[in-house]
Formats: sequence, C-alpha cells, structure tokens
Amino acid sequence: MARKWRKLKKLQDLLLKQEPIQAVESQNRINQQPNSQDKLATSLDTNISKLQKIYENCSDVIFHNFIFGGTDQAFLIYIEGLSNIEELNDKVLTPLMENVKIDDSTKQIDRFKTILQKKISVSKIQEVLTYPDIIYQISSGNPVILVDQMSNGYAVGLAKWEKRSIEEPSAESVIRGPREGFIESIGVNTALIRRKIKSPKLKMEEVKIGRLTKTAVIVAYIDGVANKTLIEEVKNRLNRIETDTILDSEYIEEFIEDNPYSPFPQTLNTERPDVASAYLSEGHVVILVDGSPFSLVAPITLYSLLQASEDYYNRPMLTTAIRWLRYLFVIITLLLPSVYVAVLTYHHEMVPTTLLISMAASREPIPFPALVEALLMEIMFEILREAGIRLPKQIGSAVSIVGALVIGQAAVDAGIVSATMVMVVAVTGIASFAIPHYNVGMSLRMLRFPMLFLAGFLGLLGISLGVIMIVTHLCTLRSFGVPYLSPMAPMQGDDMKDVMFRLPRWAHNTRPHLTGKYNKYRQASNLKPSAEKGEE
Amino acid sequence: MIEKGRISSFQMAIIMNPAIIATGILLVPSLTAAKAERDMWISPIWGSIFGFLIVFVTFQLHKQFPKETIIEYSEHIIGPILGKVLGFIYLFFYLHINGIIIREYGEFVVGNFLFNTPLIVILSSMVLVCAFSVRGGLEVIARTAQIFVPIVILLWLLIMLFLLGDLDLNKMLPVLEKGVMPTILGAAGPASWFSEYLLIAFMLPYLSDPEKGLKWGHLSVLSVLIILVITNLTTLLLFGDITADLLYPVMNAGRYISIAEFFQHLESIIMAIWIAGTFLKISIFYYALVLGTSQLLKISDYKPIVFPIGLLLILVAKWTAPNLIELKHFLGTSSVFYFLFMQIVIPTLLLIIRLLRKKLQVKRGTKSEAISHDKT
Repeated sequence: MARKWRKLKKLQDLLLKQEPIQAVESQNRINQQPNSQDKLATSLDTNISKLQKIYENCSDVIFHNFIFGGTDQAFLIYIEGLSNIEELNDKVLTPLMENVKIDDSTKQIDRFKTILQKKISVSKIQEVLTYPDIIYQISSGNPVILVDQMSNGYAVGLAKWEKRSIEEPSAESVIRGPREGFIESIGVNTALIRRKIKSPKLKMEEVKIGRLTKTAVIVAYIDGVANKTLIEEVKNRLNRIETDTILDSEYIEEFIEDNPYSPFPQTLNTERPDVASAYLSEGHVVILVDGSPFSLVAPITLYSLLQASEDYYNRPMLTTAIRWLRYLFVIITLLLPSVYVAVLTYHHEMVPTTLLISMAASREPIPFPALVEALLMEIMFEILREAGIRLPKQIGSAVSIVGALVIGQAAVDAGIVSATMVMVVAVTGIASFAIPHYNVGMSLRMLRFPMLFLAGFLGLLGISLGVIMIVTHLCTLRSFGVPYLSPMAPMQGDDMKDVMFRLPRWAHNTRPHLTGKYNKYRQASNLKPSAEKGEE
Repeated sequence: MIEKGRISSFQMAIIMNPAIIATGILLVPSLTAAKAERDMWISPIWGSIFGFLIVFVTFQLHKQFPKETIIEYSEHIIGPILGKVLGFIYLFFYLHINGIIIREYGEFVVGNFLFNTPLIVILSSMVLVCAFSVRGGLEVIARTAQIFVPIVILLWLLIMLFLLGDLDLNKMLPVLEKGVMPTILGAAGPASWFSEYLLIAFMLPYLSDPEKGLKWGHLSVLSVLIILVITNLTTLLLFGDITADLLYPVMNAGRYISIAEFFQHLESIIMAIWIAGTFLKISIFYYALVLGTSQLLKISDYKPIVFPIGLLLILVAKWTAPNLIELKHFLGTSSVFYFLFMQIVIPTLLLIIRLLRKKLQVKRGTKSEAISHDKT
C-alpha cells in the first residue's frame, strides 16, 4: 500500500515538475528477439508441415499450393473471410503464376523480390521471418506467401472483413456536433482520430495484449503535450497485463486502474473521436482497443466524467448553466431519496405545514416505515431499468408500460407506497440518467443504497457522515497520479474555467494544470473578438 | 519522514479555519456573553492576539527546525529525556482536547436532534469517519477541507444574511459601559480557541511553500477572528442580554429564520452541514495525535495506529465529563488556563530556551554545536 502510494506520489511530483524523464525501457513484446525455433526453415515442406500442424483442425485456414514463376513450388496461406479474395487472385496470384524469364544465375530471393516489386500491385507487403509472425499476419487477414528455398515469407496487405459502418454513437448522442463514432475495427478508429489531428506529433504506439486474442491496443498521445512520465506509466501498466483474452476496453480498464476497489471509474470511456481528440490535445493519453468502439481516456477527474461533448458545441453561458444543473443532478441522484426518508423519519419540522399535511395524508394508508418504502421502490426501479436494457426492443415497450403501472398508479392505489415516494424515486432515476457518462451515473445510483440506510438509521446526521465518507474517498482517489477532485481539491483557480464554468473558447488559453502543464499555452492570448479588431 | 504528502500554505490556512470555528461558533458566543455582556463582540479581538502570537511562535520554532514537529524538536531543545516527557504530555493533551471536541459534538447532536440515540453511537460513527480521512494523510484532510470549508462558510453567511432583518442595533448600546475589563475577561473563551493554532506546528514541516506559512497562518487567524466577531455581533443584536443563557445561540438563531413561510426550521440542515466542519476539526486534531504518537514512538508508518487511537478517543470523549453542564463549566473556567498553558506558554518557553541557548553557544564560541542542531 505504502509503496504504491509512494509511486503515485512520485508520478504526481514528476507531472508537476515537468522534468525530462528517462524513458523506462519498454518491454513491448512485439520487439522481443524471436527464438531460433520459431524461425522459418529454408525448406518449404518443413514450413508447410509445421504450419499445417499448428493449424490442425482449422477448416477456415486455406493452404493453397501453386507454381511460382513457372518453376518453383510456393504456398499461399490465408483465412477465409478475412482477406479480399478477388484482389488476391487478380493482383497477386495471376502475376506470380506467369512464366517469368529471369536470369537463372540470380538467387531465388532476388528473383522473388524483383517480381514482387515489378508485378504485384499491392501497396503493403511485409516480410515475415517467424511462425508467430505468420500466425499474426494471417489472423489479421493478410495472406502469406511462402516460396521454396527461401527462409522468409511475405505478407500481403489485403485484409478485408465485414465491419459495421460508422454510425452516430448511441450512448453519447448530440444535437449539434460531429455525429461519427468509433467502430469495432481499430484501423478505422485510428483513422478517425488522425483525420481530426493531422499533425505528425500525434503518436500511436501499438501493444499486443492477450495470449489468445492478441488484441491490438494502441496508446495514442500528442508528443510534446502529453507528459512523458504519464505515457511511460500507461505503457508500463499495459505491459503488465498477462491475461488470455481482451474483448473490450473495459478489460483493460480494470487492469490499469489506480484503485481497483473504488466504486468510481478512473478512466473515461468514449465512443466519439471528437472527444478523444479533445482529450489528446489537452495532454491526456487515449487507449484504443481493437474490437471495442470504446476508447479509454486517462488520466481523468470526476469533473470530466460530468461533462458532455456537447458542452463545447453550445454557447458558453448556456453550457455553464447546464453544468451547474448537472452538479445538482449528481446531488439529487445521490441524496434525494435518503433526504426524503430522513426528513420523514426524524425531521418533520423542516417541512412546511401545508406540505407536511398532504404528505402525511398520502402516507396514511402505507403500512411500511419510510426506509422500507423507499427501498422497495428503488429496487423496483432498478429491476425495470435492467430489464429495459436487456430485453429486445419489442418487449422493452411492454416492460415500460407494465413498469409504469406497477411503479406508479397501481402501487399507490394498492396502498403499498405513497404518491410522493413514487415521485421522489422517479425524479432520482431521471436525474441519474441525465449524467452524461453512464458508468458514473451507475456508481452514484449504487451508492444511493448505503445512503438510504444511513438516513434511515441516523437521519440527516447519517447523510452527512455518508457524504463525508464519499468525499474523503474521492479525495484519496487518483487517476494515473492525478487527484480525482482536482482542480477543486487541490485547488487550481485557473482550471475552474472549464469546471465551474465553461468560458468561451477564446478564454481557454491554457491547458489543464496537471495534464497540460508540460506545454501550457494552447492558443494565442488575445483572441477575444470585438468589432474594433475587425476594422484594423 | 512519516508523512509523505505535501500541502500548500493556503491549504493549511483552510484546514485551520474549521479547526477553530467548528465548535467555536457554537460555544464562544454564550461563553463571552457571560462575562462581557453587551460588549461580547469585542472579546474575540483580544482573544485573537493569542492566535497571532502562537502562529508567530510556532513559525519561529519551525524556522529553527524546518523538518520537525513540536514532538521532535522539543527533544532537541530541552534534552532527550525531558523532551520525551514533554512529548508524552502533549500527546495526552491532544488526546484529551480531542476527546472534549468529540464530546461537544456528541452532546450537541444528542441534545438537539437525535434525542433517543445513544451518545456512544454518535461519537463512534464520527470517529470512524475521521479515522478514514486520517489514514488518507495530511493531503486528503487538506483536500476535504477545500471541499467542505467553502460550503460551511457559505452556510454561515446565509444564516447571517437571513437574520439581517431581525437585528436590532440598539441592543449593543452602550458600548463599553463598564470599561474594558469585562471584554478582556470574556476573551478567555476565544483565547483558548485561538490557542489551538498550535496545530500548525504539525503541518509546517510538510508545507510545499514554507516561506508563506507565516502569512497564511496569520490570514487564517484573521478569517477566524472576523467570523467570530460577526457571529458574536449577530447573536448579540438578535438576542440581546439573554445570549448568555442560551446554550447554542447560533443554533437558536437558525431556528429564528423564516423566509417566505417556506425556509423555516433550518436547524437540521445547519446541523448537517456544520457536521462537515466538526469532521475537519476532529480529523486534524486526530491527525496531530496520530502523527505525534508515531513520531514519539519512532514508528515508521502511522496508518496502523489510527484505529486503536480512535478507540481511545471514543473512550476519552465518554469519560471527559459527566454531562454537558459540567463540560461547559470546565470550558468556561479552568480549561482556559489549561489550554493556554499547553498551547501558548510551553511553546513560547521552548522558543525562548532555544534562542537563549543558541545565543549562549555563540558567545562561548561553540558555533559548531548550534549548527549541528540545526541540521538535525
């Protein structure tokens, strides 16, 4: 514990001091020296028999035998459905199988290279030297050509498989702003970012994780903006992962968090390339995972989880108001049911008399204490929410109708819950959905239950103690060395421009303190528009 | 060093604010009113002199031993044995005073809100919550302070603002009717609160910008002074001569608020937010106690002793007084000498001894020893 803490502390110090840091030796597994056993043999038969043994009982792997240049035995290996077969036939097989008259004195390898250069019209051809290389290339959809008497093969970049088209992300939709979202293919995702940030300073480093899946994980950052320590730390944490499968970025998220037992997410996930690009330009690191449309952003603070991309596509004053509303939603989500229970159970005097009378009247036939009533309704609400997500859309509407009846009118009429309680629970639920990032909304909704118990046992005192506990926890939390509540605690006055408010773009002269201090200024300082400036 | 976190002077000032006012605004008005009557608002000004003094003394001691707390440098000043004894005395003092604070909090909650809840439940739940923040270290306490202090101050401002319509300026007249003496006697209560600024001795070694420590320390005293004067003034203008008979005048003032027939009986919300302030106060005293204990006993990490000391705190809080009346009597009378002696007289003596010994050594020409002391 203490050691981990010290390390984090060091990381934060370094982030603040912006000292040039010696790059820790990257343990990228791709760069490891191949074993002699893995190297390709000169004999084609050996190679083929070995590969066929590796791909035993794999009906989708195609081994195609052909005569290369009219004289030599050659093999083409690919996986069905992952490569563009038409192009493979037209641009690779046809030219290779032609009779080629070349001086016999030249070596085989040179001959082959000449033919590759002269005849094959494919832009990406990679040399492969080892079996793991071949396996990786065919699994990625690039057919591999092996020729007799040669101890190297060539992977032809003809990967093509079925993928989803680029759509608007459903979890982060906007009224105004870019509508494209990441998809499951990492090549498309990197391209989406690269289309927004054209500077060569945008770096993308690839790591392969997962013994079975060999998932490509890309660490993207902007050189000279992101802190070098941070990049190294991210890469180190990624390299530490030794697991068999990585099927989504969430797998990665759980392996690289600072505090694995916290209910709060310590990385932000986004489906939007514009959000990812914005974070990149502020000095954050973005982690893209093949097979997942969700990219991870680190480090983050609680406040970045409460911001939506549309905050930056709307007028600043409006956005500031909406942000304040959102902070209110957080408080409502966490506290409204428990405050209601506390007031009903212990602090009647707070409620104005007329309201108290109507509340008492609606509670009069209810047999349960307020705490039980609230728990009942909250659990009912969570059931409905969960069922609504899992069920097919056709049944989903039926659930919502039945749910509205059960949770609403019928429950009140049956005298199980009071009408006010139904309202409190409904408002809480809607407020939690108004929080832009679903996973924070979930964390807060789960924390609502312990708060309910505290309210039921100790009243407002219990709520206070619960809130203090949560705030203390948030103050202890860090995301890659960055305090979770910064810039509020520790206070960074300058960063309030994008937390408490959303100042106009021309006022965002500096990058956020803890991630962007490495390269502080992001724009010219005198950008405030005015009529006089235009006349100059 | 045992504490690895670093805080800024500004954060220290923010922590110290609730460390004084959390219980201060509850009890100080009626304590001062008992002696100073209509001039109760002047008393905190006299009391604050002790605050400024102790900040100055602590800072001078800190300059002599930049990397040590009072527990550590007392050994260098008065010798290892006496120093250890003094360290133990300080630890017991902090155990006791923190017990008193926790008890004040518990009595307040039991007396005003949760009449049927056992005192021990309220005491231990608070100590448990504080234990978590103390385990987080100084940085976490500073950050929680930055979140909660603005809220607590805002709440206090709102109470004062809502009461503006009910205030009667005539209640403070005539000013200084019986001379200055009653206000000085009334300053005894605030003085013992202000003397709690000795706590910065436990934070100064861990500042990231120690050169600003004195400035922010004094600004913090000033902020507390302003809050106490305005609180005293408001309660005086609201209740007049009966202030002294009220147990918690500010709480009664909170009950007074009624805006548009809707915002009324806000005392529960006031209590809920005020608890955040008390939490900070208990945490920082608790932290000083835990840190001091581990320094005196030369333990490498303070985290393992947090919960055991928490248990002790609950017991001391329970044993410290049989009931609220006795507690308040103690706070208004003998505690003043006790607190002032421990928190003002002893540190000042330490500073004087240190400076004298340094001078003597310089006179004797044994400069080297003085320098070697500085380095330790």
